[in-house]
Amino acid sequence: MTVEAKLSIAGLEKSFVGRKVVSVDRLEIGRHGIEGLIGPNGAGKTTLMGLITRKLKADAGTLIYRPGGTEIDLRQMSMDQVARAGLVKTNQVIQDFETLSIRDSLRLALAPAEREQFWTVFTKRRKRDAVEAEIDEILSHFPFENPNGDARSAGEKKLLDIIRCLLLKPKVLLMDEPTAGLPDDLTRAVMTLVQKKVAEEDLKVFIIEHDLDLIWDYCAHVNFLADGRLLCSGTPQEVKDHPVVVEKYMGVVDV
Amino acid sequence: MAYLYFSLALVAVYIGITLLLHLQFGRVGIVNFGVVGFWGLGMYAHGVFMVTLGLPWLVALLLATLLVGLFALALGALVLRLDGQSVLVATLAFATIVLHLVTTEKWLTGGVVGFGTIEYPFDFGAATEPAYLALILAFVAVVLVYALRLDSSAYGRLLSAIRDNEPLAHGLGKPTFRHKLIFFAVTSAGMGLFGGLSASLNQFLTPNMIAPGVTFTAWIALVLGGKDHPWGAIIGVCATVGLFDVFIETFAPIPADYALLVPNIKLMLYGAFLVVIMLYRPSGVLGGYGRRG
Ligand SMILES: Nc1ncnc2c1ncn2[C@@H]1O[C@H](COP(=O)(O)OP(=O)(O)OP(=O)(O)O)[C@@H](O)[C@H]1O
Ligand SMILES: [Mg+2]
Repeated sequence: MTVEAKLSIAGLEKSFVGRKVVSVDRLEIGRHGIEGLIGPNGAGKTTLMGLITRKLKADAGTLIYRPGGTEIDLRQMSMDQVARAGLVKTNQVIQDFETLSIRDSLRLALAPAEREQFWTVFTKRRKRDAVEAEIDEILSHFPFENPNGDARSAGEKKLLDIIRCLLLKPKVLLMDEPTAGLPDDLTRAVMTLVQKKVAEEDLKVFIIEHDLDLIWDYCAHVNFLADGRLLCSGTPQEVKDHPVVVEKYMGVVDV
Repeated sequence: MAYLYFSLALVAVYIGITLLLHLQFGRVGIVNFGVVGFWGLGMYAHGVFMVTLGLPWLVALLLATLLVGLFALALGALVLRLDGQSVLVATLAFATIVLHLVTTEKWLTGGVVGFGTIEYPFDFGAATEPAYLALILAFVAVVLVYALRLDSSAYGRLLSAIRDNEPLAHGLGKPTFRHKLIFFAVTSAGMGLFGGLSASLNQFLTPNMIAPGVTFTAWIALVLGGKDHPWGAIIGVCATVGLFDVFIETFAPIPADYALLVPNIKLMLYGAFLVVIMLYRPSGVLGGYGRRG
């Protein structure tokens, strides 16, 4: 293991109304292409990711992010800065822009900050072919009912959420239950694309799932979280056979 | 004839501030219930800069606009992170404070006695009023063109995203708070600009001019016409201020005995309008947003 982790977490804690929801001593993410995070409902998985993206403020602990050669202390940053630094998260609960079409929603993800300023409204508009081509390319992987219209079904909205994040060209992509609300074939299409990007680009993925088959199939490394604590991690086989995982988790889901 | 020009200029000013309110509320969802505060601060500031400090008209106008923008920036920094109700209360409170200070700080504003005289920036004899109306319309046109262009711009798309789902836009790397703050400050400064333009129009300022009625009229016009469309603001103002303050007052022969009733009937009809609109077209005459193409 000489590969340097993209993300190093130490002593991370978060409480909600006095109850400790996350308490992770050590966690390194980004040594493997795709890593999994599993655990029972309410284990604190979503909260942990929220702490990483700075959607939530941690009570204690350190969060170090290494996108390139540099080290960034995430605690100094706001959520939008973290996202621009290449660390983004897809949403567990469907999130959507009510009045944006599919293409506009994707153009939003691709728009550089200097084009989104108060006075740029008066500057000349150009159709940006490169952007449209990039959108066409990524849409070609998925069967949207009307790719030039709106995302209507819950599945299409969920998919759009993931595609938006991919278009940001993240260095670390956190995926919170991508299968929730997505039909099985679409989940596979998403994972195939993610796998391809991990192989071809500088991208590491950290993924929360209750669909354990997906975890065993795609993840090189799996972490198990229960009651906010990281109880074990290792290869899928090691985690699958771990007594604590079997006791606290496998008993309650069908594997 | 001069009175007709005054009334039309009043309509133009209302269109200006209602367009700006459309930008704030319709485009970004900022619930500004202190429209008259920004407008009134601009009006009095312009007057004070011109009359008390003796600054040239244009310099006074720009300084007044800038001052209102700075106030909006400070207010926005305090409240724009909060929810809509808090913004509503804070902006309403701001307008109330402006009204209060204008009334009590007699050394600066003349208090209830009034403040004047704020001259027109030019004197073209009989053509002065029409020329000034044209000047106000030019500023209205700038705001209208801006609002229309926003629809198809990357910045407009970002504002729609912030209005629809701010946390989601924030998570996509957009500095949503900064954008809201700048947008709020500039559009509120615009309200101050129309206030500054109103100073010369009124020539003599009294605190009752900056009562909450101005805010409510702009809101009623916007909701009536359709908050999501720039044209909605224009239709709404024409159907309210235009109908009552210009058409009826100028052209309808109302016997003197009944003239006093007009403002009350106006308010009753505004209320009735609103009820009908809410029942049959909750998004205003022009309807709501479709999805963007
Ligand atoms: N904003 C909040 N305020 C109070 N409690 C919260 C908040 N967010 C989460 N919690 C609580 O923290 C605990 C962990 O929640 P979290 O969403 O992180 O779990 P999870 O592991 O993602 O669960 P699931 O698998 O169901 O998505 C839960 O008990 C939840 O009720
Ligand atoms: Mg969760």
